[in-house]
Amino acid sequence: MFGLNRAVSAAVVAEVPGRPEMPSLGNDLRHDPHIDLLQSWMSLAEMQQRVIRTLIAEIQDTSGFVEKEADDLSGRFQRLALSAQQQTGRVESLTHLAASIEVEDRPVPIEEIAGLLKDTLGDVVAKILMLSKDSMAMVYALNEVSANIVNVEKCMAKLDQVNSTTNMLALNARIEAERAGVAGVTFRVVADEVRELSKATQALSVTMKEDLKAVIDGIGTSNTTLHRVATIDLSDNILAKDRLEVLLAAMVQRGGVLENIVAEAVKEAGLISADVDGMITGLQFQDRARQRLEHVVDALSVIGEALEENKRTTASVAPQLLELAPADLGWVAGLLDRFTMSEMRARFAAELLRGTPDAETHRHASPDDAKGSIELF
Amino acid sequence: MKCQFQQNDACVNISGEFTFADHTAFREVANRLFQAKDHTIVVELSQLQFIDSAGLGMLLIARDEASKAGRALVLSQPQGQVKRMFTVSKFDELFTIQA
Repeated sequence: MFGLNRAVSAAVVAEVPGRPEMPSLGNDLRHDPHIDLLQSWMSLAEMQQRVIRTLIAEIQDTSGFVEKEADDLSGRFQRLALSAQQQTGRVESLTHLAASIEVEDRPVPIEEIAGLLKDTLGDVVAKILMLSKDSMAMVYALNEVSANIVNVEKCMAKLDQVNSTTNMLALNARIEAERAGVAGVTFRVVADEVRELSKATQALSVTMKEDLKAVIDGIGTSNTTLHRVATIDLSDNILAKDRLEVLLAAMVQRGGVLENIVAEAVKEAGLISADVDGMITGLQFQDRARQRLEHVVDALSVIGEALEENKRTTASVAPQLLELAPADLGWVAGLLDRFTMSEMRARFAAELLRGTPDAETHRHASPDDAKGSIELF
Repeated sequence: MKCQFQQNDACVNISGEFTFADHTAFREVANRLFQAKDHTIVVELSQLQFIDSAGLGMLLIARDEASKAGRALVLSQPQGQVKRMFTVSKFDELFTIQA
C-alpha cells in the first residue's frame, strides 16, 4: 500500500525495545525509518489530494452530464406529452366523425339519418302501393267501360236496323198514298214526315257512330298507356327498402363499434398523457441528485483542504519532508485497473501522474458525451 | 298464376307468379270469392313464388271491396319473396296474415 509496508517495516525495526528515542531531525534524516514513513504519508497525502481533485472533477462532470441528459429527456417527454394531448384531441374529434356527419354546418347523427331514410323509403313504398292499387283500379274501370262500349255498339247496330225498317215503311206508305190519289193526300204528308224523321235519325246515328269511334279510340289509347304504366314492376323498388334498411342498420352498428373503439382510444391516450406527465415529474430527480453530489464534492473538498493544511503544517515543521517519496506507480496502476471505462482511466492516469486537473480531458465540453454515448464493456 | 278453390269457394289457393298479366283472371277469382256465403275469405299463398307491385295493388283492391261488403280478407302462409314484399309493404297492418 503506497510503499507504506516498506516504511512500516523499517519503522518497526527502528522501534524495537531498547532502541534509543526517535532520531532527531538532522542531516542524516534521509535514512531514518520514521522520516521514510512520514515521507511516505506525505506522498500518499499528495496522491490522495490528486485523487480527490480528480474525483471532484469527475463528480461535477457526471452531475452536469446527468442534469443535461435529464433536462434533455424532460424536454423530449414534454414534447411527447404535448403530442399525446394533441393526439387525444384528434381521437376525440373522431368520436364526432364516427357518430355524425356535417350537413349544412349542422352535425346530424348517423341514427337520425338512418331514421330519416327509413321514413322516406317507407313513404316511397306506400306511394308505390297506392300507385299500383290506383293503376289496377283504372284498368278494371277501363275494362268495364270497354264492355259497355261493346253494348253501345250493339245498340247502334239495332238502331240502324230500326231506322232502315222505318225508312222502308215510309217509302211503302208514300207508294200507297200515290195509289189512293186525292184520298191519300193526308197519308202522303205523314209518309213524308216519317221519311224525314228516318233521315234525321240516320244522320244522328252516323254522328253517334263517329263520336263513339272517337271515344273507343281514346279509351284504347288510354288503356294502352295505362297498361304500360301498370305493367311496370316496382317490386324491386319495394324490396330495395328492405336492402337499404339492412345496409343502414349495418352502418349504424358499424358507427357504434367505431364510436366504442374511439372511446377506448381516447381513454388510452389519456392514460398515456398521464404516464408521460408522471415521467416528467419523475425526471426531477436530477435536482436532488445534484444537491447530494454537491454535498459529496463539498466534503471531498474539505478533506482535500485538510490534507493540504496538514502538508503545509508538516512542511513548516520539517521542510526536508517536502522531498516526497516517489509515487507508488503500482498502487496507481491498481487503482486505475478498477476502472472499466477507458476514457475515465486515461483521464485519471493523466491527472494523477501530472498532479493537476486537465480541463481538456474532462467531458463537459465533449459533444459526443452530451449525446449520452455509452461505452460498452 | 294458377287458382284452385276450396271450402265452398271461400278459399282460393294461388300458385306460381301473380303479376299484372293475371288481372283479368284475378278479377274473376275475386268475384267468385265474394259470391261465397262465408264471412271470411281466405287467399292461400303458400305455393305462390312471386308477386309484383300490380299483384299487391290487386290484393289491396280486393281488400277494399271485402271491406265494403263487410267481409274479412285473410292472406295465408306467404313464403319467400311474397313474404318479404308483404313485410316491406307493411301488409300486416292492412290484412290479417296467417303464418
